[in-house]
Amino acid sequence: MKVTIKEWNAVATWHWDIPEDEVCGICRVQFDGTCPTCKFPGDDCALVQGRCNHAFHMHCLMTWIDLETSKGLCPMCRQKFEWKDKE
Amino acid sequence: MASNRMRRIGKEIADIHADAHSQIKAEPFGNQDDVTHLRGSFPGPPGTPYEGGTYNIDIKIPTDYPFRPPTMKFETKVWHPNVSSQTGAICLDTLSTAWSPVLTIKSALLSLQSLLSTPEPKDPQDAEVANMLLKSPKEFERVARDWAVVYAGAPASADNGSGSSIDDTRQGAGEDSLAKYDGYNKNLIDRFSSMGFDVDRVVAAFRHVGVERRGGQDYELEENSMGEIAARLLGE
Ligand SMILES: [Zn+2]
Ligand SMILES: [Zn+2]
Ligand SMILES: [Zn+2]
Repeated sequence: MKVTIKEWNAVATWHWDIPEDEVCGICRVQFDGTCPTCKFPGDDCALVQGRCNHAFHMHCLMTWIDLETSKGLCPMCRQKFEWKDKE
Repeated sequence: MASNRMRRIGKEIADIHADAHSQIKAEPFGNQDDVTHLRGSFPGPPGTPYEGGTYNIDIKIPTDYPFRPPTMKFETKVWHPNVSSQTGAICLDTLSTAWSPVLTIKSALLSLQSLLSTPEPKDPQDAEVANMLLKSPKEFERVARDWAVVYAGAPASADNGSGSSIDDTRQGAGEDSLAKYDGYNKNLIDRFSSMGFDVDRVVAAFRHVGVERRGGQDYELEENSMGEIAARLLGE
């Protein structure tokens, strides 16, 4: 069989240099550190995860969700960001 | 907040530098310490009239970046329905309503590069360009290519425009006729003459605009000078 390529559309993608599940996509700081507005890691600077499984520092995500331009969407997948239920 | 923004922009610029592969660039516009005003650039996509050109983008980072998108406009003039041919303003949803804080300066530049391959004349930023693309695509391609050659430094190739007359111009410019170039570098002049203008007229336009001869060296002309030369040649 001979295959002739008639058209080739290159699609550009990008990714963080560190695996994306280890950094907050908004501030690009590791999840084991705090978001840029907090000093101490731990409960005061919690992580949140959406039903879509994308995680962020809570403070970073809230700054985004509070903007009307966010339309309440997850920054990663642009689905409605809904809190993932515990358990 | 401000220092967080600076740190993230700094990281982004470092990431862009580290990736030599994509040919995307971004540097401080003027003052090296000011990372809120950058100049980005990328090559025109292959298979488009913009191929071989380099496109510079003026980038301003707002105080609430990355929650608000960077403001970008084309610094290099470009003939494209979604970019103003006058101001370089861009119509692209990624840079307005579809912005997300996980996007980066680099991803935004990549979207601009792909915008050049996928013109959307139904949602134009420049109505004149969009009309031309819809009504006479051939004419659109020709003008887009001319602009790429004049403003973005794309090589003037013989397979664009009316082929035979261009070849004649080139062959006429043999060793013996170098005098016609009046001390200007041949490549500089040929970049315009290969678009179908007489060498004599191009040289006259160079003189009129006051382009430096630099001892017959080949060098990169200022965007302003190129614009003035083109305007002179087109009789504007
Ligand atoms: Zn964060
Ligand atoms: Zn925090
Ligand atoms: Zn998501």
